[in-house]
Amino acid sequence: MSLILPKNTLSRRRLLQLSGFSGASLLLGGCALNPLSEQVGQVFEPLNQSLEKLLLSQKPVPEFLASAIEPKKLLVNTFDFTPKIDPVKFRLTIDGDVHHPLQLSMIDIQKLPLTSMVIRHICVEGWSAIVQWGGVKLRDLANLVQPKSSVRYVYFKSADGYYESWDIASALHPQTLMAYQKNGAPLPIDNGAPLRLASPIKLGYKQSKWVTQIKFVNNLLPTKGYWEDQGYEWFAGL
Amino acid sequence: MSSSTSVKRKVPSTPNQTFLSKTFHWINIISLLLMISSGLQIYNANPVFGGRAGWHFPDFLLLGGWLGAARHWHFAAMWFFGLNLLWYGVYIFYTHRWRHRFVTSADIKVLQVGENVKRKNYAWHRLIYTGIIPVLLLAIATGLAMYKPAQLAWLSGLFGNWQILRTLHFITVPTVILFTGLHSLLALKVGSVRLVKSMFF
Repeated sequence: MSLILPKNTLSRRRLLQLSGFSGASLLLGGCALNPLSEQVGQVFEPLNQSLEKLLLSQKPVPEFLASAIEPKKLLVNTFDFTPKIDPVKFRLTIDGDVHHPLQLSMIDIQKLPLTSMVIRHICVEGWSAIVQWGGVKLRDLANLVQPKSSVRYVYFKSADGYYESWDIASALHPQTLMAYQKNGAPLPIDNGAPLRLASPIKLGYKQSKWVTQIKFVNNLLPTKGYWEDQGYEWFAGL
Repeated sequence: MSSSTSVKRKVPSTPNQTFLSKTFHWINIISLLLMISSGLQIYNANPVFGGRAGWHFPDFLLLGGWLGAARHWHFAAMWFFGLNLLWYGVYIFYTHRWRHRFVTSADIKVLQVGENVKRKNYAWHRLIYTGIIPVLLLAIATGLAMYKPAQLAWLSGLFGNWQILRTLHFITVPTVILFTGLHSLLALKVGSVRLVKSMFF
């Protein structure tokens, strides 16, 4: 195929060269764009969050059959160390902007209605595992302490120094549990014993292990969560 | 565009694309580059094949520098990529372009029994660029299924398990890259540099 080209026009060879160069420069440009990542996050996180809030419903997420549980797929991630907590001495503090702040022992917590769910636990890294969690609904704990009507957020503090904050709607979702069982057995220490957050509606890094304090608050603090303060998305809804 | 160079031959008319088609094409290329480079960075946090011990993509292909930043890029570029495809779909539907600008049964027939090489190349060209659209839609569907697997459980459920979902989402990347190569070659073959230029400028 030959073509009578007017002068000054792009030849095929030149075009291929140019597309090769621009392809290469775009690839290298990827690194040049990295410093903009934080700004990109700041601009688009509010938009993504409003989509996530719109999608969030109080309807339970469909669960899996017990036969679908994937015990080996649940990897253990910690940001620092694994705290060893004596379950007898353990007390969960629930306070903040509530009418009746409380301290509960594991025995108190286990007297409350037990909810079991088989859900998919999804890590921000990309892996997932179908897990059975058993525990008390955070909603039931909220009913005990009676948060004030102005409460919009919940902070979770852990024995290893990890901290997290959730929007109140996600915290009161019927499948958001303070779990003390995993796959039909008592919760192992590595997975957050004696008590951890478990929910199908948030990424794994929102689901604090070794929780010692639940605090209902009106406003978010500048420190929103360990990983969020490093640059992860705060809402992290699924 | 024939091999004849006779003096009498008319100069082929310059191909012309609508402004909207060119806009779609540009936004699609740029947003896909951002989606792929940030997507490969996300991939590296836990490779689809082999997990943490699996093969990782080299740094020069990646966007973000680390997982958190790559997610910022991926979930920003998704708006441009997804909405661009959406308005383009509405556009080709309302202008009836979908009927005559994409592969038809006539093209398939040409590929099966056609003798005219130029017509056959043209049919290949239309087949290939039409074929990328379902791949782009699959990238969006599998992406949404992993982005909101709880609220869009019905969508995630269509793809079996998580590994299938991740694999399908990933496979769209080499598919799009392969397509881009074939599409560029066929465009050059069918309409030479004039056609390629008309799609960009």
